[in-house]
This record gives sequence, C-alpha cells and structure tokens, in this order.
Amino acid sequence: MKVKTARLGKKGSRKARRIVQIVFFIIVAVTATGGALKEKGITIPIIPEASLHSICPFGGVVSIWQFLNVGTMVKKVHESSFVLAGIALVLALLFGPVICGWVCPFGTFQEWLAALGRKIFRKKYNTFMPAKLDKVLRYLRYLVLAWVSYMTVVTGKLVFQDYDPYFTLFNLWTGEVAITGYIALALVIVLSLFVERPFCKYACPYGAVLGVFNLFRIFGIKRNAPTCISCKACDKACPMNIKVSASKVVRNHQCISCLECTSEAACPVPATVEMLALPGQVKDTFGQKSTKSDSKAIGGDK
Amino acid sequence: MKVTYKTIGILVVASFVVGIGAAELSGLWKTESTKEPVTIKEGEFAGMPNPSDIRGSYTWSDVAKAFGFDVNLALKAFGASDPLVKVNTLESIYEGASLPEGAEIGTDSVRLFVSLLTGLPHTSEESTILPFSAIEVLRAEGKASSDLIEEAAGRAYKPGAAGEAATAAPAASVADSAADARPAAVVSSIAPAAAKTTATAEPAAAQAVTTPVPSSSVAQASTTTTVHTPSPTKTGVEGTGEGAAPGTITGKTTFKEIKAWGLSEEQIKSVTGGEIGNDIAAIRDWVVSKGLSFSEIKAKLQEMLDAR
Repeated sequence: MKVKTARLGKKGSRKARRIVQIVFFIIVAVTATGGALKEKGITIPIIPEASLHSICPFGGVVSIWQFLNVGTMVKKVHESSFVLAGIALVLALLFGPVICGWVCPFGTFQEWLAALGRKIFRKKYNTFMPAKLDKVLRYLRYLVLAWVSYMTVVTGKLVFQDYDPYFTLFNLWTGEVAITGYIALALVIVLSLFVERPFCKYACPYGAVLGVFNLFRIFGIKRNAPTCISCKACDKACPMNIKVSASKVVRNHQCISCLECTSEAACPVPATVEMLALPGQVKDTFGQKSTKSDSKAIGGDK
Repeated sequence: MKVTYKTIGILVVASFVVGIGAAELSGLWKTESTKEPVTIKEGEFAGMPNPSDIRGSYTWSDVAKAFGFDVNLALKAFGASDPLVKVNTLESIYEGASLPEGAEIGTDSVRLFVSLLTGLPHTSEESTILPFSAIEVLRAEGKASSDLIEEAAGRAYKPGAAGEAATAAPAASVADSAADARPAAVVSSIAPAAAKTTATAEPAAAQAVTTPVPSSSVAQASTTTTVHTPSPTKTGVEGTGEGAAPGTITGKTTFKEIKAWGLSEEQIKSVTGGEIGNDIAAIRDWVVSKGLSFSEIKAKLQEMLDAR
C-alpha cells in the first residue's frame, strides 16, 4: 500500500513538469500562429501576436554581437528575445538548462514522440545509438552553434531558420519554411522514435549554450552514494542517457534539469538522487569530497 | 536546500511572468520592430535616420513618418494607394513587369528613393532601379543633387514601349553592343554609379557620374558623353548572359553558367529549395516561375560564388 502511495506521489510530482511543458507549448503555438496570421493580414482578438523569432531566446543570443557593435538586432529578432535570453540565463545559472527540460516546446514535442517510441520498442528505446558514435555526436551541437553564430554575425540574418526544425514545426503552414527545414523536421521525427530528444542531444545550438551552465550551476543533481542501491533506475530514466549512477554530482553538459532521475521520480530510495545547492567547488553533498572521476565536466559522468 | 519538481515548476513560470511583466512595464518588451530606422552614427548626417535601415516590414506610412515627408509622395512614386501596406509588397507588384534584365524594384528601391528624396546617404544594390513615377517625384521634390537623380532616371523603369526602350537601353547596349554597334558609352557613364548609387557623401559614386544623362534621351544623347569613361565595377544591368563578367549573376545568367563558374548542383539546390532548372534556363526566369524571390536566391548564389 505504501509503495502504491509513493508511486502515485511520484506521478504527481512528474505531472508538474508535464503541465509546465504543455502550458509553454500552447503559449508558443498560439502566439506564433497569431503572429503568422497577422503577417497575412488576419487578426484574431485575444490571441497574442508575435513571430516565433521574437519569442525565442536564442535570437537574443545570436544578436548580441550585432547589438554591441552596430546597435541593431539581427533581422526578425526583437528586444523581447533579449528579455527571454536574460530570463533563461538567470535560470541556467541557478538550475542549469531548465529551459530545455521544462520550457522548450520542441523538447516537449520530441518527448511526445519518445512516448510513442517507447511503446514501440519498450526497453530497447533510446539504446540504439552506438556508444562511440554517440559520444562524438554529442559535440556536434557546438559546431552547429559556432556555424550559426559566425554566419549570423557575417550576414546579419537568422541563417539557422532554413534548417531549424523548431521553426518549421510552428510555421508548417505559413509558406516561409525552406525545404531544408522540412527535411530537418522529418529527420527529427523519425529519429525521435528511436532516440530520445535527438535534436537536443546532437544539433540544438541553444542547448549547446545552456549546456555549458551545467559546469557551474548553483543547484545541481547529487547522488548520495551511501544510500544508493545501484539499481540504475536513474540512468534508465535520463532522457539524455547520462549515467547518474556513476556520479556523485552530475556535471554533464547534456543534463536538461528534468529531474527524472531524482528520488522524486525514478530513484526508488528517498533522498538519494536530489537537486541540491552546489556551493563553491564541486563537493559531495554528504560530507565526502568528490573524486575526480565523479565530477568530470563535459561527458565525465557518462 | 532541496529543489523539487514543484519548486522548479513555480520558479520557471514565475520567472517568465515576472520577467516579461517587468519588461513590459519598463517598455523593453517589444515583439515587433519599432519602425524607426537606426540613426547615422558619424559624419555630416550623424543623428539622422538611415535610409539603409528601412525594412520590408515598414509600411509606406512608417517610412514617411520616419523620414518626415508626405506619405503621398511615396505612394505616387511607386504607384501604391494604401499607406498601410508594407513596402515589401513592391517586389511582387513589379514581378510581372518587363524590367531590364537583372534589375529589380523592391525594398531597396524604397531606400534609394528616400535617399534621393531626403538627401541622406544610402548605397543601393547593383540591381536596384526605380519606377519612372518615382523619378518624376524626385525631380520635383528630391533634395539629392540633380546628377544623382538623373543617373537614377537613366535606369528607371517606365512602363510602355517607349519607356521600356529607354529603360532597357543601358543593359541592352552592353549585351548587344557587338551585334548592333550601339555605343557602350551610356553604360560606361551609368554603370559605375549604378554599382554604388549613393545620394551623398560617396565621392567615388559622385565622380562616376561624370555627365548627367537625361533620362528621356538616354539612348540618343549618350553617344556624346563619357565615351572613354572606364567602367570600374560590375553592375547588375551591365553584363547579362554570356556577355556578363564571369562570376557575376544577372538576370540572364543560366544554370549552366553558374555551374561552369564552379557551383555544384547540390550547392545550387541548397539555395533554390532542392530543385534546379534546365541548364539553359535563365535562373531569374526559373526562380520567378517557382514563385521564389530572385533577389534572395541571387544574393545567396552570388555569395557562394564570391566565397570561391
């Protein structure tokens, strides 16, 4: 009976994230649709109107250089992107990439597809990618970030739009999507049936920016080794395939702060995997200093 | 301090509500451009609005308000009627018109018009031309030098047979110079300026217009002007098709030519959306037939060629 209650409690906790994700997905979808309709001269009362670019924090990131040097924003990006980028920055400093795990509608979309993939492949889902290839591909998003940043600075335009599956998803009907965008979205949809959050893992340039905050975030995921029963439930629950069971402090650059590994969700032992303050340098939560292997930065705790 | 699902959920939502709310209150929350172009930073015109920053999303009204002129002048110049229509509609309006090869009337034409009307500097694109109705307005109201206005007039688009003959003269005279022995002098005098049409503060462009060419008599009068003026730059209308400078895309450039200049089929497809026309097809004709923007495709392809 107690077990059943605990499980229900966990479901309830997880629900908080699902609700926040759905709310943001709806807000973004409605706002972007309103913005696109306005472009076509159609205004619907009550519905907020803004382009997808103006409510994407990444636009603020790629506009920084132009703003500091010329005083203007990259075409199609507006001040609102700076505001959102600022909010995301503060949240990332505190909790890591919560934007990815809680807010990003495209991450949510991939999770919905993952649910389908899980139904098809059950336990095999999210285990198809060969480890060596996966390890290398995890750094691809930094190359994408470098390319997008460079091209945006050079051209003053949002060059990633033509390849962005996120933009494509919310602009499918507008006629503004390049063929490459459709290809990218189709690819992500298919891959999501085998791998969880493939775009986040391998290609998202904004995920790359936010991922770096995992290295020095104030609150992070900690594992209490003495109480851990090494069941690896945390590893299985992690959508980003991080080996939480091998870490005392998760500093992996791919963590999206979804809390799925914590004792509130996957971990069956109370107070064993939790998000806690990480004051100063990386330390073991429970009094012991973490070893080097426990707190390796990028990819260290994989 | 332990952070739970509930804590993060509340904090994330609160951060957005408070952050966006505060930004709204302080006037920082803007999801649209202000329709106010940036100001010129340096020189004689420092502090004045910059015509080069006019965006396609501005309406005629926005443009007139930003630069302080009567919106009716712009409407008359471009044959528009609704001041609340965006200026980026120009390209589609003139898409069907028989413009000179490689020439375009679009948002950059509005920038050029405003520049000539207000006397503020702007460097227009090589392919940018004005409709003749704009020249009439500029002749009456333009603050730029008459030389520059007449230079734009020499390239202006005038609907109708006579007008088109006058308009097409510069391009035709180069492309067909060997065939019909029409002097290239007109082109020489116009081409350098066309490459960098600048209303003010651009000495190089000003010098290029050594002799103003009356628009109404371009084809005839030009034989007596600047015959020996060298043409230091390539222009959008100067060379077309096989007569064009290698590596410069114009309205007559074919797919075969850009392939010969080094672009692969895959590179071309990456710009045109996965499709490509026949080798002998002019890129412009094919792009227009697909409902795409020639100026955008051309710019991307040119960028690829220039990068080689």
